[in-house]
Amino acid sequence: MAAKLVQLTINDKEYDIAVQANETLVDVLRYRLGLTGTKKGCGQGDCGSCTVIMDGNTVNSCLVLAVQANGSRITTIEGLESEEGLHPVQKAFIEHGAIQCGFCSSGMILSAKNLLDKNPKPTEGEIRSALSGNLCRCTGYQKIVEAVQSIAK
Amino acid sequence: MLLPKFDFDEPATVSEACEILAEFGAKAKVIAGGTDLTVNMKKKLLSPERLVSIARVPELQRVDASSTMLKLGPCVTIANIAESGEIGKRWGAICAGAKALGSPLVRNRATVGGNLGSARPAGDMPPSLMAYGARVVLTKKSGQRVVFLDNFFRGPGLTEIAPEEIMTEIQVDAPPPHAGAGYINLGLRSSCDCNIVNVASYLVLEGPGGPIKEARIVMGCVGPTQRRAVSAEKALIGKKPCEALFTRAGEAAMTDSTPIDDFRGSAAYKKEMVKVLTRRTLAAAFEEALKS
Repeated sequence: MAAKLVQLTINDKEYDIAVQANETLVDVLRYRLGLTGTKKGCGQGDCGSCTVIMDGNTVNSCLVLAVQANGSRITTIEGLESEEGLHPVQKAFIEHGAIQCGFCSSGMILSAKNLLDKNPKPTEGEIRSALSGNLCRCTGYQKIVEAVQSIAK
Repeated sequence: MLLPKFDFDEPATVSEACEILAEFGAKAKVIAGGTDLTVNMKKKLLSPERLVSIARVPELQRVDASSTMLKLGPCVTIANIAESGEIGKRWGAICAGAKALGSPLVRNRATVGGNLGSARPAGDMPPSLMAYGARVVLTKKSGQRVVFLDNFFRGPGLTEIAPEEIMTEIQVDAPPPHAGAGYINLGLRSSCDCNIVNVASYLVLEGPGGPIKEARIVMGCVGPTQRRAVSAEKALIGKKPCEALFTRAGEAAMTDSTPIDDFRGSAAYKKEMVKVLTRRTLAAAFEEALKS
């Protein structure tokens, strides 16, 4: 099993990394690049805490082989903040108390951002559906939905 | 959970992929989106020595709905099918199945070929594809063959695909005039769950309003593979469609199903749900047939 060289553009920065075939994208992000904002929960695509945006779509990075991500553009939670400060979705989550323990927040915020990029004025149903792959065990979802709605208006 | 070690190939063409599979056979596994395979490998249920990724073979990602036949590349993602207007217009029940699968995150990676190849009895794509009479093209180095989905599934996780073969296309004929289909899945929640029962129905009428010329009802979760509700289909042929007839067909479908008791539900409950979903999907199919 030889290492393979992959090229990833993560948060607009290019990386050339030699990865093993059995390394998942979440492990490369966290353990190789130190981008620990991406959380690792169930490891089997059920919880969504490892959500990243890959080539414009949200994915469970625990199910993506790093070798299969070769050439992709990836946005992690670290990529949302700009010189102007936190991303509007991040601010809304704080203002609406949509963050409690924080473990789901990275994935939840990325799923919400991706929804708003594609559909700036989603209905409540569309918001709930877009976030349905991200589990939160603290908030009961209501405050998260309200945070997203506050930007959608 | 860590993945076991394996070698990795990423062929650029179907023939290159076939060469690799001809060499490694059962030691290799084909991977596309990986939403099912990687989980099974993490759980050590499968440990292939080699993964052959077909996700970057351009011809396996095509959707062609322009002719009288829908041609789907096996690597088309479930999200693309769910959102496809051109598939939804003529093959609405396929989109309904795609929308019901997994979560938005899973749908962005999971592929239609993967959902068929993983052969789960509760899968969301097989029932409606079978109801439309879909076929799959299986290709190997020395040639290809076409298999009806009715003959494709062999048991949980088992299919007709030989170790040296790759699914290279899914073909679905366009429904004739006065035809319609419906798909309903019953689960505990609408995302990230496994179906308790799912049913797809397809009807062709002689003319507007009936009688019924052709009927196919496919049930999931009630046997080791998806199965046709043969006696329910028989009960429909030649009859004028109405709610009472659909109820009788639902009762007949119960006798065609062989569910087991498990943590998702009792066999008796699943049979009852077969009745309800058969009736409702037939009603949906009839409604669509009246409009087409």
